[in-house]
Amino acid sequence: MTPSIYYLLFTIFDLLPGSSGRPDAYVSLLHNLQLSIVNSQLWSSAWPAGVTMLGLGLVFAIVLLVASERLKVPVDPQVEQIHQVLPHVECGACGFAGCGQYAPAVRNDPQLLGKCAPGGPTVAAQIAAILNIQISGQGAPVRPIIRCRAHTGDRTYFAHYRGIPSCTAANALANAQACKFGCLGFGDCVRSCKFGALRVVDGLATVNYEKCTGCGGCSKVCPRNLIVMVPFSHDPMMTVACRSKENGKTTRAMCQVGCIGCGLCAKQSDAFKVEDNLARMDYASYQPSGQNEAACKKCPTGVIVYRGKSAPAPQPPKARQAASSTA
Amino acid sequence: MDRFTALLMGFLSVVLVNNFVFTKFLGTCPYLGVSGRIDRAFGMGLAVTFVTALSGTLTWMVDAWVLTPLHLEIARYICYIVIIAGAVQLVEMYVRKFFPSLYDAFGIFLPLISTNCVILGICLFLDVWGTNNLLEAVVISTGTGIGFTVAICIMAAIREELALSDVPEALQGAPITLITAGLLTLAFMGFAGMIK
Repeated sequence: MTPSIYYLLFTIFDLLPGSSGRPDAYVSLLHNLQLSIVNSQLWSSAWPAGVTMLGLGLVFAIVLLVASERLKVPVDPQVEQIHQVLPHVECGACGFAGCGQYAPAVRNDPQLLGKCAPGGPTVAAQIAAILNIQISGQGAPVRPIIRCRAHTGDRTYFAHYRGIPSCTAANALANAQACKFGCLGFGDCVRSCKFGALRVVDGLATVNYEKCTGCGGCSKVCPRNLIVMVPFSHDPMMTVACRSKENGKTTRAMCQVGCIGCGLCAKQSDAFKVEDNLARMDYASYQPSGQNEAACKKCPTGVIVYRGKSAPAPQPPKARQAASSTA
Repeated sequence: MDRFTALLMGFLSVVLVNNFVFTKFLGTCPYLGVSGRIDRAFGMGLAVTFVTALSGTLTWMVDAWVLTPLHLEIARYICYIVIIAGAVQLVEMYVRKFFPSLYDAFGIFLPLISTNCVILGICLFLDVWGTNNLLEAVVISTGTGIGFTVAICIMAAIREELALSDVPEALQGAPITLITAGLLTLAFMGFAGMIK
């Protein structure tokens, strides 16, 4: 049979406004190609195809036109712009499910502006530009600190845990390790990190501050609540790397690098105070000072450590220092 | 009664015996792509069911009342595609308006329903199978969508279990999914011949 494409071509030419039938040039072209299909009979059988298609197209165009009006979803162009500048890692640091939910929220409430941790000040500035507002000085970026510094060798174990290799599972069991506060080292935080900024080094979760964006995902998954987000006003930042509230004797028996609550740091510097047998530090107002440095040096178990990109290696506890110096 | 039985048989036939996914391997893209979680799979199944029902019925009507009387069978494909694209567009607007989270979850798969071969498949098979009344066309095209929903939901349920199981490293991801799809097809071969 005749190829259907000719039917359609003819139809299109015939339906063009202002043209009365097929262009002669076109007809003669087909004649030159020695196609003997061009005749009036063909046209009479071809026009229904065109009309049908046109009718179908028209019906659907009207239906969709009505539908697009009735089912219109108003999208704020600003929301779309904000969504474009967001980093699209869907980390949830802002407190929303993902970038798609944060964009409209920040559009409606500029108070939420600085919440995008992976984007940081750059993205905040871009969003502020889109919303045509000024950002006031932002606080220091928050970074996680791990409130434990005990590696496998520093800890005491009553038994060997061979269960599911996950901190949450191990935490459900009493005595997965002697210290009920310290890092379990099964890496729930490592798996939660979308930026590969965490790894477990010899039984202790360790943050790579070069890669960390401060989204806080790790602090949410740690079953022992060891990871807290603190404002990193300085780098390196001084931190108390222990969370044990046991009394000094018990802590010492279980861990070589646990806080024994002796209070030496609090005597050196006002930044520290001891509550529940545990040294606390006021991170928000931390300033590098001689007093703080002295407190760090005095700590008998070396719990006060520097964390950050340029942090020096934490000093070993006094007992071990003495042992190594006599040896 | 006889007519009702015929309709029921036709329906069961497209859901189980002649399931488009299992026996004709049509619609495999969303079948493997959106079957990660059962709630999304079900949503996808419903969307496809709606589109098959709508476009199957409309194409049958256009075919029976316009194209065949005018001897324009040659224009079937192009008419069907116009109808399917229009129906998908309608579904997309509807989902976007009333189920925004589902719309986000589907992503590119929602507009891709228009290229889902199950849908063009059912429109063309209605003719091949000689469907000769409107009711039959409605029932069979709805059944096709339900068959697709059944397939994608079974697949999603298995894959949710697979996510927690210890799959050998070499088979993780796509390979085990394809093996699962093959085994499911074999299982559904058991229905072959039940309905003539």
